Amino acid sequence: MDGMRFEKNFTALVDDRVAEGVFRVDRSVYTDQEVFDAEMAQIFEGGWIYLCHESQIPDEGSYYATDIGFTPVVVIRQKDGSLKTFINACSHRAAILTPRKQGKARVLTCRFHGWAYSREGRCVRIKQEKEGFGDEEFDRSSYDLKAVSRTESYRGFVFGSLEENVPPLREALAAAAGWIDLMVEQSPDGLEVVPGSSTYTIHGNWKMQIENSVDGHHVSTVHRVFANTMRNREERDGLTGMARTEGGRITGKVPSGAYDLGNGHMAIWAQHTTPERRPVYKKKNWLEANFPSGKVDWILNRGRNLAVFPNVALMDNPSTQIRRVRPISPDRTEVTVYCIAHVGEDDEARAARLRKFEDFYLTAGMATSDDMAALEDTYLGSHARAARWNDFTRGLHSMVEGADQLATLGDFEPVTSSESWENETLYLGFYRRWRELMSVE
Amino acid sequence: MLPEVSDLINRESKYLDQRLWDDWLNLYSDDAVFWAPSWSNEDTLIEDPKTSLNMVFLEGRGRLEDRVFRIETEDSYASMPLDRTVHVVGNITVDGTNNEAIHASANAIVHSYGRHGAQTTGRLYEYVLSDLEGRLTIKQKKIILIDDAVAGPIDIYHF
Repeated sequence: MDGMRFEKNFTALVDDRVAEGVFRVDRSVYTDQEVFDAEMAQIFEGGWIYLCHESQIPDEGSYYATDIGFTPVVVIRQKDGSLKTFINACSHRAAILTPRKQGKARVLTCRFHGWAYSREGRCVRIKQEKEGFGDEEFDRSSYDLKAVSRTESYRGFVFGSLEENVPPLREALAAAAGWIDLMVEQSPDGLEVVPGSSTYTIHGNWKMQIENSVDGHHVSTVHRVFANTMRNREERDGLTGMARTEGGRITGKVPSGAYDLGNGHMAIWAQHTTPERRPVYKKKNWLEANFPSGKVDWILNRGRNLAVFPNVALMDNPSTQIRRVRPISPDRTEVTVYCIAHVGEDDEARAARLRKFEDFYLTAGMATSDDMAALEDTYLGSHARAARWNDFTRGLHSMVEGADQLATLGDFEPVTSSESWENETLYLGFYRRWRELMSVE
Repeated sequence: MLPEVSDLINRESKYLDQRLWDDWLNLYSDDAVFWAPSWSNEDTLIEDPKTSLNMVFLEGRGRLEDRVFRIETEDSYASMPLDRTVHVVGNITVDGTNNEAIHASANAIVHSYGRHGAQTTGRLYEYVLSDLEGRLTIKQKKIILIDDAVAGPIDIYHF
């Protein structure tokens, strides 16, 4: 983009000497305002950013107001069902055009001076046009809304890019596309965002939230209390079936793994000891009839967390989540979480999915709240300049280049594979991508 | 009726602020529902807690006991240390009574202080109370969060 790149080179903040057993990241990446400003310009306003799910804009004229970096944008469903994204600012004096975050409109009329825009972004009305611009044939099209350069959906997940020069979304998603496939293909009638959401701010850097979303190493410490609380509940209430928690994955004693999926995307998984407690388990017969056993195994028997670079995490555990991250400043991050569920699933499965979500994921839940407190502490500690490096070499000795056997069965091709979700080699991919985008060309 | 209802509602906030968890739990009936809906849009709350994502939806006093259990383990990162809170409750009205229940409502300002510094946020409370062997108990508490974009982790005692 014209004039949007920063002159300063931030590459030295990632010390990548894997051949010597070193991979570390300067903690100022979390705290420095200059780094943050460059990230907004070069990462967020320079590439694909997750915007919303298609089920949130179901009909012609449905809109969803969100942002790409600091740029307010609005995604609008067109007459032919396609999607367009515009800068959400009146061409006249920049007022936001959407009265609500989400809604439906025939035209978007600016509430400041009354200028109006069609769903296709055409300026269709200027108040007192003749009086203001003369009687001559006036070309209103110079006031059409500015479209965001690229809008694409991958299997219902909508992304936009302010930068024109980006690869097609499918290509940019690299092996993360295969992980989205695992989430989408498990439901015969597709996925939908369930009514309701939660937004919260974290006193910490956005990258800490993305890192935490695929950090397997914290689970058996931070979430030990969740597992204990659930065990206490289940014994007290004599719960059975889907009402019980899939606690095995929290113990740290089950098979697990981590992947660098390419282009900064990362993923972790852990084996379920009690997969029948997952709502998706009701689809077991249908899945077995329609997919190879390796893929069914991935869908039913492994909890999976996917971080799509740079701003969304998709969780496919007993409950299922879209977690969208919006950086506000180096020390503030806004997070919005949605429950994404199988269209048409039965009441028992839907209720189990939602109640598990509320137990675990929310800021008022019994696990995400603990994650937030932990990562806020890492933000505070990152200010110590006398101890400046975060080490990411855990698991380097056992890391496998390319796909391991399970990845091949799951039909995706990671850059590297790791035999345990306790390992941190997946972050090499994230910070190499970060450094690439933050370097001066 | 109003004095008894006010006393119950005021005691609830006192028990929470003073961390008298067992006294707090005893205000609730076994089948109590504790519900904070999420907002589906700027001015609309989700309607059906069973089919929507809630901020909190706890059916049965056991689910409140879970929260206390977790706090008391001192193993929850977000709950060690606990925020300090003060609930200021007012505008208590009895909105209707019948043989089975008393409907009451109240407004609350909750001020909390902890690792995030200070936060002051608003709530609307809607209670369904019942007389259990001569003692008023809470059968249902609906908490409408005015500030639904939450700064930092919150727990049952912030509601």
